[in-house]
Amino acid sequence: MSAIPLDLDNTLERPGERAPLVLGKSDLASITEQVCEIAERPRPSREWWLAFGTSASLTFVLFAMLGYLFWTGLGVWGINQPVAWGFAIINFVFWVGIGHAGTLISAILFLFRQKWRTSINRFAEAMTIFAVICAGLFPAIHVGRPWFEYWLAPLPNQMQMWPNFRSPLLWDVFAVSTYFTVSLMFWYMGMVPDLATLRDRARSKIRQIAYGIAALGWRGSGRHWHRYERAYLLLAALATPLVLSVHSVVSFDFAVSQLPGWHATIFPPYFVAGAIFSGFAMVLTLLIPVRHIFRLESLITPRHLDNMAKIILATGSMVGYSYIIEFFIAWYSGNPYESFTFLNRALGPYAWSYWIMFTCNAIIPQLLWFKRLRQTPGLLLVISIFVNIGMWFERFVIVVTSLSRDFLPSSWGVYWPTWVDLLTFLGSFGLFFTLFLLFLRFLPIVAMAEVKSVVPAAGLELGPHRGHGQYWGEIPHQHDEENER
Amino acid sequence: MRAMVDLGNEPRVLGEKASPVVRGGWLAAGVGLVAALALGALSGQGWRGFFFAYLHAWAFFASIALGALFFVMLQHLTNAGWSVVVRRLAEAMASTLPLLALLFVPIAVGLGELYHWSHADAVAADPLLQWKSGYLNTPFFLIRCALYLGVWVWLARFFVGRSLAQDTSGDVAHTLAMRRRAAPAMFLFAFTVTFAAFDLLMSLDPHWYSTMLGVYYFAGAAVGFFASLILFSYLVQRAGFLRRAITREHYHDLGKLLFAFTVFWAYISFSQFMLMWYANIPEETLFYLHRQEHGWGWAGLALVFGHFLLPFLALLSRGPKRRKGALAVAAGWLLIMHWLDLYWFVIPVQSEHATLNWASLALAVGLAGALMASMLHRVRATSLVPERDPRLMESLTFENA
Repeated sequence: MSAIPLDLDNTLERPGERAPLVLGKSDLASITEQVCEIAERPRPSREWWLAFGTSASLTFVLFAMLGYLFWTGLGVWGINQPVAWGFAIINFVFWVGIGHAGTLISAILFLFRQKWRTSINRFAEAMTIFAVICAGLFPAIHVGRPWFEYWLAPLPNQMQMWPNFRSPLLWDVFAVSTYFTVSLMFWYMGMVPDLATLRDRARSKIRQIAYGIAALGWRGSGRHWHRYERAYLLLAALATPLVLSVHSVVSFDFAVSQLPGWHATIFPPYFVAGAIFSGFAMVLTLLIPVRHIFRLESLITPRHLDNMAKIILATGSMVGYSYIIEFFIAWYSGNPYESFTFLNRALGPYAWSYWIMFTCNAIIPQLLWFKRLRQTPGLLLVISIFVNIGMWFERFVIVVTSLSRDFLPSSWGVYWPTWVDLLTFLGSFGLFFTLFLLFLRFLPIVAMAEVKSVVPAAGLELGPHRGHGQYWGEIPHQHDEENER
Repeated sequence: MRAMVDLGNEPRVLGEKASPVVRGGWLAAGVGLVAALALGALSGQGWRGFFFAYLHAWAFFASIALGALFFVMLQHLTNAGWSVVVRRLAEAMASTLPLLALLFVPIAVGLGELYHWSHADAVAADPLLQWKSGYLNTPFFLIRCALYLGVWVWLARFFVGRSLAQDTSGDVAHTLAMRRRAAPAMFLFAFTVTFAAFDLLMSLDPHWYSTMLGVYYFAGAAVGFFASLILFSYLVQRAGFLRRAITREHYHDLGKLLFAFTVFWAYISFSQFMLMWYANIPEETLFYLHRQEHGWGWAGLALVFGHFLLPFLALLSRGPKRRKGALAVAAGWLLIMHWLDLYWFVIPVQSEHATLNWASLALAVGLAGALMASMLHRVRATSLVPERDPRLMESLTFENA
């Protein structure tokens, strides 16, 4: 089969041609080999164990902190009046925001026929699910008495007590759980054909049975594929509104209030843009090392990094737009509380957090205008980490500055996290990375079946098929007939 | 996969066939303008009704042209292949921006009638207006508007001009230049459209404010544009042009985008309403309170059903998006709804009670006629497709997989 040189610059797309999305020796068998091999290594590398040990220990710290919290009560956190929402809500919004990239890539980019998504969607969807798990944890422990958690659900009961349906906090329960369910379904359904591949290649009984159960009897018949594609399209259409709705509802938690700095009508789209921004940044943070370690450069090509960097640039600019518009309207409104809040953010006691946020979110990503930067994975990694930091601080700024100084100076206060807050947050990273490392170890981290549909071996170059993101025109350097299988 | 269309046999230059429409357009422009002026002159309350109707009509047609500019830039930004066969039509719509800039003059003339903040005595009596007077004052307002219009005209001239230049030269450098400039152009577009919406629409009620308003105007503009593009394609094909070049596959995609932006508009307008209703802060709710009283509530309900629920159901499934007749009906309906949306925004400032401002109707006809005539006059000598766009082939054979 043909091989496209690995060093082909597929970020250049000559008008009228479509650049190849997979480089190197990209026939069907070698893609299977390349991806399955990662999950089939007899034992993980020393580095994997090191990473796993670290994150599992951090997860242990998380559970220790939860135990301490439940035993002692919320007083172990830094929250108090007036800042009653502290780290827990900041971390919740941070993690749920990160959980937006997966669905955007698998649903919206699918509907937009962006075929490059096939190399990264599995990865991003997995990350989404783990991030939403971390996110869901925080409101659950923030209620103080988690054993009464079921009161959040509208269950008929003797006391005739119902949750407040007018509260966005309740909408959150529904929005996030729906999002989690649909993302999980989408991820799992998309993985079925690949799980079947792993099952078919399995050498040990245990693996055969385990992957066999997970593959749900997939045989790859024409009928299976037909229904699979239909279901995928429908799930994509159903998941698309969820990409917008979840973070919109999260933004309602703030924006329905009358608190200056929280009550802004632009919050819903601004939060959604920020969520996608942070989600893509986290995908890059994880993807760049993984791509390097597992030698996936032929599947996750410079073009993929370039495209993701452009999405980060676009959504980061939307976030920057919102910062500017909020500032302008705070002045324009003539409302002294609004003006004060924004000046307080930029110049008050928490100004350092505001400027970290502004620099990391609105300024540093603007470097991605430079193509050279978008194509240097190391620098891209650094920028993506800055964005992660910036987006965490954005939530810090929103939650803390507005609550700490509202209308009455007599009720102002300061907020500082306690060591329990910090260790719980750190522990949530432990949980996230533990799940992520397990994913790397046992599951197909690239959607093999989908990638195979965009390689030259799929036969698309034979006829003038011009679906989007597929080949059009000459495919450079791919005519070495002697390698034909 | 579809066999390729031989463009050589495809009628794609309007030529003399455009002349009757151009003449009809100028006639409609004359009749509409004279009728609106007569209505203004004969009304008992001076020119206030006329100027509000004019602002409404201008904001409506400008939104469509801006939507077209956005679409053209977006196609270059994303290097889109499917849309090439309809891009020239969008370019034609965007090229009405210079005429729209000229048509801005009556708004500048009517500033005193339109904007409460432009009166020195009103500002003197109102501390809020004094606070804002650094921004909301006549000279600065006019400078800003000139800037917005200048930017739009400049962007439209660049993207339309390069595309036309490529028809003759076939040089791919044009495509590359447009792709390079599309991203920074989006920045200019986002900020100019936002602040234009703040200045022209939000400041009609200078106490009211919403950070979302720029996005709201943009969402409506996109709905208005996609509806217009579908109608334009449909009419051009009815007249015998591009009959094989534009296929149901293209209509399908345009229908999807119309559907998507209809939902986006609903999302934005619901969020804006819900957040203001929920927080119930007087200076914000006043806007909606006024638009729920004196009959305006009916217009609002008409928008809920007509601008969202009905088209949502109508465009949800695949069938209607692939039948151009059905899609054209939905597009026409949404275009009227977009008109009503802006009417519901602008006219309540002028009239406390819900009325049909007849001048609004006359000006809708008048401006539509003028813009249509000038647009068709412009494009009649050029091809209706970007003849030598390198992605044309991809577009001609495009299929929704």
